[in-house]
Amino acid sequence: MTLNVLQYLLQISPLEGFFFGSGKAMVVTGVALIILIGMGLWLFAMEKRIARMNEHVDELLNSQTLKKK
Amino acid sequence: MLHVPMWFTMFLLMGIGFVASIRQLSASQSELHDLRAEASVQVGMAFGILGLITGSLWARFTWGAWWVDDPQLNGAMVTVLVYAGYLILRATVDNKRLKARLSAVYNLFAFVILIILLMVLPRFTESLHPGKGGNPGFNSYDLDSSLRMVFYPAVIGWMLLGIWMYRVRLAAAALNQKLQQL
Repeated sequence: MTLNVLQYLLQISPLEGFFFGSGKAMVVTGVALIILIGMGLWLFAMEKRIARMNEHVDELLNSQTLKKK
Repeated sequence: MLHVPMWFTMFLLMGIGFVASIRQLSASQSELHDLRAEASVQVGMAFGILGLITGSLWARFTWGAWWVDDPQLNGAMVTVLVYAGYLILRATVDNKRLKARLSAVYNLFAFVILIILLMVLPRFTESLHPGKGGNPGFNSYDLDSSLRMVFYPAVIGWMLLGIWMYRVRLAAAALNQKLQQL
């Protein structure tokens, strides 16, 4: 879909023609996509890890409270 | 479709921080609001710095210089420095309650400065930047209609990513606070 949008833009605007002329626009788009997907995966993994650690800390806090009682 | 969405996302995050600071100063004084304000400013700063970098690259291509003496550009730099001051202020105060109150007050002023420097002042002065120098942004001159179908989804996408990053940062900060209780 991204490719279709980029090709459409290339057809309708000369400015895009300039950017695509050197053939580097696709590389830039590809690199940007890889960075974005990588960031998304990293955030997803971090969110899971924090949630797991949160559960663990809650268990520890609960056990400490029970010991005090 | 990187530069403008970066600033939109920064505005959103600083707005979240502004609301959190108001709530921090209100009767509740919950530590969660302080954590929210801090997390939103931290992530907002990242977007602000990326906005400056992408803007500088764009300026080099469009105006032939990495930086020009323009109210919009200088205002953006000052805004980022003001928020850097917020983070420095937080790092210099040890007392938790005092830190929360001081930084909340500072954050209120920082957000007002952000609005004045980035949204008000450049419209009243001559500016090279599109959408500034008196003319409202996003008109047919500044943004071609064909670009809107990429621009608006990009703005929404970056904002969602910014909020996601903010939530992860907030969760990490809350976890850190819990760990200190152990």
